[in-house]
Amino acid sequence: MSLTPIEAISTSAYQAMLPELTLLSGIILMIVATNLGDARMRIPLTNIRVPVFFGGKRFEMTADPRIPGYICVMTLALSAVLALMSQPNNLLHVYYTGQEGYLLTTNNGTPLLQIDAFSRLFELMFYIVLLIAAVSSLDTMNAVDSRKVSNENTKQLIDNRRQIDFHLLILLSAFGMSMVAMSVHLFMLFIGLELASLAIYVLVAFHKESKAGSEAGVKYFIVGATASAVGFYGMSLLYLWNGDLGILSLQNAWRGMDEVEALPLIALGLLLVGFGFKISAVPFHFVAPDAYAGSSSPVAGILATASKAMGFIALMRVLFLVTLPETNSTAVWLMLMGALAAISMTWGNLAALTSTNPKRMLAYSSVAHAGYMLAALTAVGGWRWGHFALGTAVDAVLMLTAAVIFHLFVLITFKLGAFLVLGLIEMEGKSNDMKSLNGLAKRDPMVAFSMFIFMLALAGVPPLAGFMSKFLMASGIVQVTTSESGMELSKGLIPVIQNLHWTFWLALLIFLNSALSLFYYLRIGVLMFFEEPETKLPLPKATRLRGMIWVCTVGAIVFGISGDWLFEFAKTAAEAFFNY
Amino acid sequence: MSEEVSAKKMDDSVWVFVALLTIIAGFMFISPSLTSGSGDDWISMPLIGLPIIAGLLMISFGTVVPPWRKEKILNATRYTCLAISLMSFAICTGMFVGLFIGIGWEQITFNHYVVEAKYSWIDSIGVCWHVGLDGLSFPMVWLTSLLIPITIITTWNEERGWYYHPLLLVMGGALIGVFVSLDLFMFYVFWELTLVPMFFLILNWGGADRRYAAQKFFIYTFTASIIMLLGILILYFAQTPDYSTTSFTGRSFDMYEMTRESHIASIGGAPWLGLGLQKFLFVLFAIGFLVKLPVVPFHTWLPDAHVQAPTGGSMLLAGVMLKMGAYGLFRICVGMFPDALIDFQTILMLIGMISIFYGAWACLGQTNLKRMVAYSSVSHMGLILLGIASMQPLGFAGALFMMFAHGIISPLLFAVAGSLKHHYHTLEIGAMRGLAKWSPWMGAYMMFGWMASLGLPLLAGFVAEVAIMVAFWQQYGWWVIIPALTLIITAAYYLWSMQRIIFEGGDEGQLPESLGDDKPVDIDKTENIGMLIMAILTVVFGILPFMMFDMMSSYSSQVFDTVLKIVMARRGL
Repeated sequence: MSLTPIEAISTSAYQAMLPELTLLSGIILMIVATNLGDARMRIPLTNIRVPVFFGGKRFEMTADPRIPGYICVMTLALSAVLALMSQPNNLLHVYYTGQEGYLLTTNNGTPLLQIDAFSRLFELMFYIVLLIAAVSSLDTMNAVDSRKVSNENTKQLIDNRRQIDFHLLILLSAFGMSMVAMSVHLFMLFIGLELASLAIYVLVAFHKESKAGSEAGVKYFIVGATASAVGFYGMSLLYLWNGDLGILSLQNAWRGMDEVEALPLIALGLLLVGFGFKISAVPFHFVAPDAYAGSSSPVAGILATASKAMGFIALMRVLFLVTLPETNSTAVWLMLMGALAAISMTWGNLAALTSTNPKRMLAYSSVAHAGYMLAALTAVGGWRWGHFALGTAVDAVLMLTAAVIFHLFVLITFKLGAFLVLGLIEMEGKSNDMKSLNGLAKRDPMVAFSMFIFMLALAGVPPLAGFMSKFLMASGIVQVTTSESGMELSKGLIPVIQNLHWTFWLALLIFLNSALSLFYYLRIGVLMFFEEPETKLPLPKATRLRGMIWVCTVGAIVFGISGDWLFEFAKTAAEAFFNY
Repeated sequence: MSEEVSAKKMDDSVWVFVALLTIIAGFMFISPSLTSGSGDDWISMPLIGLPIIAGLLMISFGTVVPPWRKEKILNATRYTCLAISLMSFAICTGMFVGLFIGIGWEQITFNHYVVEAKYSWIDSIGVCWHVGLDGLSFPMVWLTSLLIPITIITTWNEERGWYYHPLLLVMGGALIGVFVSLDLFMFYVFWELTLVPMFFLILNWGGADRRYAAQKFFIYTFTASIIMLLGILILYFAQTPDYSTTSFTGRSFDMYEMTRESHIASIGGAPWLGLGLQKFLFVLFAIGFLVKLPVVPFHTWLPDAHVQAPTGGSMLLAGVMLKMGAYGLFRICVGMFPDALIDFQTILMLIGMISIFYGAWACLGQTNLKRMVAYSSVSHMGLILLGIASMQPLGFAGALFMMFAHGIISPLLFAVAGSLKHHYHTLEIGAMRGLAKWSPWMGAYMMFGWMASLGLPLLAGFVAEVAIMVAFWQQYGWWVIIPALTLIITAAYYLWSMQRIIFEGGDEGQLPESLGDDKPVDIDKTENIGMLIMAILTVVFGILPFMMFDMMSSYSSQVFDTVLKIVMARRGL
């Protein structure tokens, strides 16, 4: 892969970062356009008032509460398209070949951001998540056109301030997320992570319709800030050790060690705390159910997909690029991550079994999904770097990484989709109880059908997208752990089992946990199809939200039955990631 | 918002779904990978894709139109469903007589298929869309394509037809998908897909206790198929990877390849599929199939499901769905794990024996007509298991013919039971006497169906029973007494019920209380047409069984000669 180094402030950098610049202009437009008013400035010592248009009583058009939403959606859609096209004259080129990329450096040559297939794929994913959430919140956050309200008093009350705040925060978090996707410097990574996280903390607290909203926001902020601080402390220790936070420099320093020193090891541990919170792995998951249950459903969907993906990017950068040993040994974090994976998936599923709030259930299932992905990451660590006797072009580690990326991508369809269905129910003012799902099939068969598809996909039933991603992860693990000795079944089952690396059992654990999770996912189906509904009234109309639910449903099916092209993208991205 | 007002509104967002589905369907039609297959593909689109996609579109359309318009689209939906299913039937019949490509059904060798088509599907994990027919699957495919239009005709006037008939269509597509798939992934997907329409058929048109029945049906079969999925995954990962293929994992789900490997294993090669692994996988797969079949320890979902299911659901459940289990046993347990089959022969025989006897014995005590027929199905499925356990070519062929014959006879029985429920509002045996007086047609079909089911000579069931008994005798000698004596119980419960329902009651007869003040009526014209076709076919295949039996026996002897004999010779049996 050829990376073209470019300076951060240059014309080619602007060209390379078109999606981000679009986001920035969207943010500025959001602030400016919605504040245009009849403000005038009096020229001193005269009576002449010059209109400055910024502030004052806003014009009727700019006061329209629907404008922020449209700006947000347009910006995100444009960014997504630009990220997909990636380069002006090479449509989809980056995704197919993965051969090109840009490296943004400071003036003295320190690499900061890398634009390649990996970062572009993740950016695309973030934009899609936020776009879906933004479109659906057009319905969930009622933006009434004030011109259509006859009552003058009500007109005064309807204001677009809340809409501006919400959509501005979405755009800001998109900006932070894309920085995380591109960063190859731990400090840049941290900046992006914090930019996105701070916006998301506020978004969590934004759900003022429920009392749990602000409580969830405060909890999530305090714990999240603490976790970030711990992670930042780890980072500062790394700086103390190496004097440079660039990924490449850290990698060289790590491989240069004769044996693992205490300082970087402690730093690694502290970093894992910070990132573990983002992906809500056990034992850093405690606030996640509260946050999911308290926030509005589209925001909870963002937490469960985009925010988690952000954590995984950071985790992959640190675990794979920095700390994977070069010589014939396994990674130092192998045991730790293996234990985290096993505990996360089991604990998450057990807790989800007993929860009576659908959002909390989805939160715990999200913990379990973090466990599945951690298992895949662990298997990569079990691979002995450079001593992989495969002898073919197929690289199991690439496949595992690609499987994790694929899983993070398809999570959009079914996890976010499930939250959107809850959002539709939330519009009636109740979604914090399983009872609100009772008899959904009688009230709205099509929505119940989608929800059922999402639940099956979450459980990993073939041929839906969830099966495909779990299967790829499990088969990657099997491949990594069995390739050295091979599954020589001719000697009988027992010797084969004895020769397996212990990470193999994580694959079995994934299967068993999926079977366990079927219980609570299918319980939702039972509620929807068997219970009597409390009311016969149909669900709210909310056409845009429903449209997004359909997009997610079709995605959950299509990525399952023909997800090959996406997996190819993910594999290209993984190659770009490792070729750094 | 009142319900009336809200109900008139169309749900706009569904058009997103319809548009996306149409795009996907269109893509499937024009996609180069689907059209560049080898030869003419008469299976993928016409038999599987079209019914499922058309059915789903009709269901989603029927769900969103306002209630006052539903009556208007009802006829269009029903006729469309009938037309599509008749088209499938025409194609299958064309294949039957070798119209299109001159298929010689008796010349197909083991693990070779006709009308075969293979497309790459999910390359990254080695899944392909591989369909094909042989002497094992074709009778089932033809039976399915026959039963779908018959079911549609017989239950023509079922309520909420805009939803009901498309469901039957989807069901048919999924069932054919199970029988034609030569790829384990595809097989599993269709295996699960058949659950969904059946689940909704029971849930939406079932009797009073339908929720319990639907749940039980789903839990039993779903759990069993999860165990089967574990077997599929183990089989997949146990393969020796070949990284030169397009699959990233170096393995594939192709059943054809697996069967070939197991063929090699049976002469001592392909060590990965050794006896230990075969035995383990045999158990996992057999659990999945035996629950579906069902056999006695796992049979309790069947009577509940049958009693609560609507007529059409029962007809397809008994007619085709149960055979999925037997088909799986043949295709995978016999075809892929012949080594293990030898070890499990006695266990299968015992399970079959228990099923036959217990099913028949339980029939004697039933007071509900549908429940009785359900238990008789358990008994007949036990006979299929005996045929497999006999490990004789004749036994295999008999079991295959039993699958086919039971697939024609039991839908007739359930159609009659359904019309009894529909016209007399009761299923209690003995609640009425002298049915023949009030409803001569219904009585005639009921008697005919029962006679066929108890194995009257010259009817289809007889051929299968004789073949299985002879094969059993060849293998186990005089133990054949036990299943043969059980047939007497079968005759007993059928004749006894016949006496209590159709005859007796003197000249006036006795009408059931549930009828109230209504007049007793005979079956509708549509019901009559459906039942007549099934009855005629029962006679035709009873007198001329070789039409199907030849291809079945050729398949059976292929399995026996090319697989089992070699394994037995190697093991010195």
